[in-house]
Amino acid sequence: MNGVRNLLRARELSAGRGVLRQALLGRDRPWLQGSSCAQSFWLVPVRSIRSSAALSHSELVHSARGDKEKDRGFRDGSLVPFDELFERAHEGDRNKAAFSRAVELFCQRDVRRRGHIEFINAALRKMPEFGVERDLDVYNKILDVFPKEVFVPRNFIQRMFNHYPRQQECGIHVLEQMENYGIMPNKQTKFLLLQIFGEKSHPIRKYQRLLYWFPKFKHINPYPVPAALPQDPVDLARISLQRIAADLSAKVTVYQLPLTDISDAGKEITQLHIVGIQSPDQQELLARHNPSRPVFVEGPFPLWLKKTCVYYYVLRGEPLPPEEKEEVIDSERNFYYPMHLDLDLDRDLWDDEEFYVDEVVEGPIFAMCMAGAGDQATLAKWILGLQQTNPILSQTPVVFHLTPGPRELQAASDSESGEEEIPQSWHMKQEL
Amino acid sequence: MGSAAALPQELLRLQGEGEQQGREEVFPYPEISNEELEEINQFVGPVEKFFSEEVDSKKIDQDAKIPPETLKGLKNLGLFGMQIPEEYGGLGLSNTMYARLGEIISLDGSVAVTLAAHQAIGLKGILIAGTDEQKAKYLPKLASGEHIAAFCLTEPGSGSDAASIQTRATMSEDGKSFLLNGSKIWISNGGLADIFTVFARTEIVDNDGAKKDKITAFIVERAFGGVTNGKPEDKLGIRGSNTCEVHFENTKVPVENVIGEVGGGFKVAMNILNSGRFSMGSASAGMIKKLIEMTAEYACTRKQFNKKLSDFGLIQEKFTLMAVKAYVMESMAYLTAGMMDRPGVPDCSVEAAMVKVFSSEGAWICVSEALQVLGGLGYMKDYPYERYLRDSRVLLIFEGTNEILRMYIALTGMQYAGRILTGKIKEMKKGNVGVALEIFVNKFRDSMGRKVDLGLVGKDGVAHPSLEESSKKLEENIYYFGTTVEGLLRRFGKTIVDEQLVLKRVADVSINLYAMTAAISRASRSISIGLRNHDHEVLLTNIFCTEAYFKNNYAMAELEKYAAENLDDSIKKVAQQVLEKRAYICSHPLERTF
Repeated sequence: MNGVRNLLRARELSAGRGVLRQALLGRDRPWLQGSSCAQSFWLVPVRSIRSSAALSHSELVHSARGDKEKDRGFRDGSLVPFDELFERAHEGDRNKAAFSRAVELFCQRDVRRRGHIEFINAALRKMPEFGVERDLDVYNKILDVFPKEVFVPRNFIQRMFNHYPRQQECGIHVLEQMENYGIMPNKQTKFLLLQIFGEKSHPIRKYQRLLYWFPKFKHINPYPVPAALPQDPVDLARISLQRIAADLSAKVTVYQLPLTDISDAGKEITQLHIVGIQSPDQQELLARHNPSRPVFVEGPFPLWLKKTCVYYYVLRGEPLPPEEKEEVIDSERNFYYPMHLDLDLDRDLWDDEEFYVDEVVEGPIFAMCMAGAGDQATLAKWILGLQQTNPILSQTPVVFHLTPGPRELQAASDSESGEEEIPQSWHMKQEL
Repeated sequence: MGSAAALPQELLRLQGEGEQQGREEVFPYPEISNEELEEINQFVGPVEKFFSEEVDSKKIDQDAKIPPETLKGLKNLGLFGMQIPEEYGGLGLSNTMYARLGEIISLDGSVAVTLAAHQAIGLKGILIAGTDEQKAKYLPKLASGEHIAAFCLTEPGSGSDAASIQTRATMSEDGKSFLLNGSKIWISNGGLADIFTVFARTEIVDNDGAKKDKITAFIVERAFGGVTNGKPEDKLGIRGSNTCEVHFENTKVPVENVIGEVGGGFKVAMNILNSGRFSMGSASAGMIKKLIEMTAEYACTRKQFNKKLSDFGLIQEKFTLMAVKAYVMESMAYLTAGMMDRPGVPDCSVEAAMVKVFSSEGAWICVSEALQVLGGLGYMKDYPYERYLRDSRVLLIFEGTNEILRMYIALTGMQYAGRILTGKIKEMKKGNVGVALEIFVNKFRDSMGRKVDLGLVGKDGVAHPSLEESSKKLEENIYYFGTTVEGLLRRFGKTIVDEQLVLKRVADVSINLYAMTAAISRASRSISIGLRNHDHEVLLTNIFCTEAYFKNNYAMAELEKYAAENLDDSIKKVAQQVLEKRAYICSHPLERTF
């Protein structure tokens, strides 16, 4: 009776690999032990026995190592044992040399590189701390930790199934982190991956995908932000403003440089920067503006440059009433050819393909600026500076429409350069 | 329409009204009387002799100056007053005769430009819009060459835009004179001239009392004071001609020296510019004829592989090209001059513009090809060819750039066609079934291969039967051009002003049509009266007409398409992207991303 039940049980198990593994490894299943086992062995179809045998081998090895790691984990008394290695490696600075030292330390410790997966995971985690998260050499060094040629499948069956899945996954992790930081793998990476995992393994596939997509996306942004943003607020304001203006004729003017000075009376005077931009077109628009209508200073509006957020202010007018929009061309304007035809025919519907994206309902923008502070006094200085080049502004009423919101947020998070904490997921998107 | 411009005329003919009149404008080819011919031949001899013996073009080019004795010789020949009436001491030449002399004068670019700046634009204002007193006062000295004239329109900030002229003339308190202030640039003869035609802004009180700035033309003598000029500009070509800045500082100009009315300067400027262009056709033709002689000499003597250069097909082709261009240029120039010489005040400004565009571009191509025949020799400063190349480049630029003139040609034609066709198109757009059906039936008949007969050949035809093929091609082009223009008006209406790529094609087709007409008309006359080598003319005409016919068909096929299909969209987009970055934006071919 017992024999029959065991037999049924074995058959069930042979159906699924996972379950079989459980069955084979399970030491807590007394019914598999004992004499009845031999009986069941003979009754189960031959094919499943073989595959189970192969599986059992690899899984046994795996489990054995797992046990050992667990043992050492207990010995070290920590769940992430390799963090310590990194702590030990850096004596002074956390830099590339220190990181490399840690990796070398691990490699020297054991020829068989026991625990390399855990070490690699720890290393990946530690990279930003050491500031090497964008260093291709370091990634290659990390990949070099893997033992070579051990995980390369030797026959078609190994190749067919996920050979050494944890190691492959770990390799993919390394590549994924490279991907997230936008690091392009090179020939050496490929060489290492081939040595470690062999052709057509998952990490190699990942590598191929990276190599396919990365070049395509490298220059996808038509308005690239420089890799390292300037620290000087004036320089930062300059590139930001040029970026928004998107007009090569636009001229940046520094109305006021940041300055901290001690006056004679011993009082500290701080002067904040005011940087503005205006294009000749905008100047012309402003010159044609009717001075009886007010112009508005509005802001602050945020602009994100990678992880940095800056704020800018605009000087704008109200949308023109439709009757003033029409520009009448003087018939005596062009010496050589007529500027308009005296015809009673309009454009046909099919050829009318124009729509205007530049003409926004908010009205024309006359100038933009960035300043160290968003209070009216500071911005008034900007307007004062603008009056030098735009005389009409001195006759035009200027209305300040300032919202306080984002200013406070910026003040709370960081100082001048406006470095802000961003959620991790968003952060990653930026990196790409 | 006493003188229909060529393009409108073609459209007129197409419309079936005034058919006779349009044809009579250009057929038969205009002739001058025997007396006039004799008279002009009397001039041609000495002038030719003077240019071949006394004018040292190489030295003029090197020194960037026309020597005084050469200028004196030109004055003695009366060449400074060619079109000034005899009563004022000029030669009183007709436009045709002026064009004939222009052929010879053009043998030296610097001299030609100096003379043209003097009389084609410099003193033209006095001639066409001046009062009798002004004419009596200034023309005699200008005709003798004692005074040289210059035309001052261009300013640092103003080319063709009248609104950006900054030179200002303010009326003095007693109302007797104006004070002139401002600077003009690139003034031909600016350093030599004693009399300037200056355009300046003046304040005018409108009928309704509003003050407004308008352009006024003035005759300014250097003797008025306050006139200074900069140093002569160093130029690529026409180096011997004097070009410099002219400054006016509180120059006092009496009210009598206003040309036309105060505030009427715009029209004066336009008329001067429009009338000065026609002579460029004969001038370019003269230059090319000379070039053909010089290069043919070389091609027939130089041997390579025991064969003369003239035996090579590719060299022969270049000579044919030069001959065809020269022939067509000449035909257009003298047809236009002849039309301008008709009684009345015919307006041939569109034709003149077509002549200018065609001949300047033709001259540039021909000089370049002539240089090619000579190979390395043409590139050397020891030979005159490189000078011709440099000199001829300016033809495409001055007196209105070819781009601007194309707009003028196309828009004037469009305006004219629009006046005739507006009613019909509006009817159709309103949904008038009759008109729509008529258009549809016409289109259908066109697509079935319509025979176009506008009566150029056949019974009562005006073209010679030997030119039947070419005439048929011209007729067909004219007919389809009419339908194309109608389609364009229907599609774009008055907004066609902004469609420069479309207008350029319209202008090109118009120029070709006018050129074909001129060549056929001239060749027909030559055959009919038995001029020497008229069979050669037939060949040239047929070559040109066939080529132009295919070019026209291509241009018209493009015109019928929408912007996405005829590449206009892509062309604009590329330009936009390049101009946005103000650079060539492609990555370098050696660049890599991985």
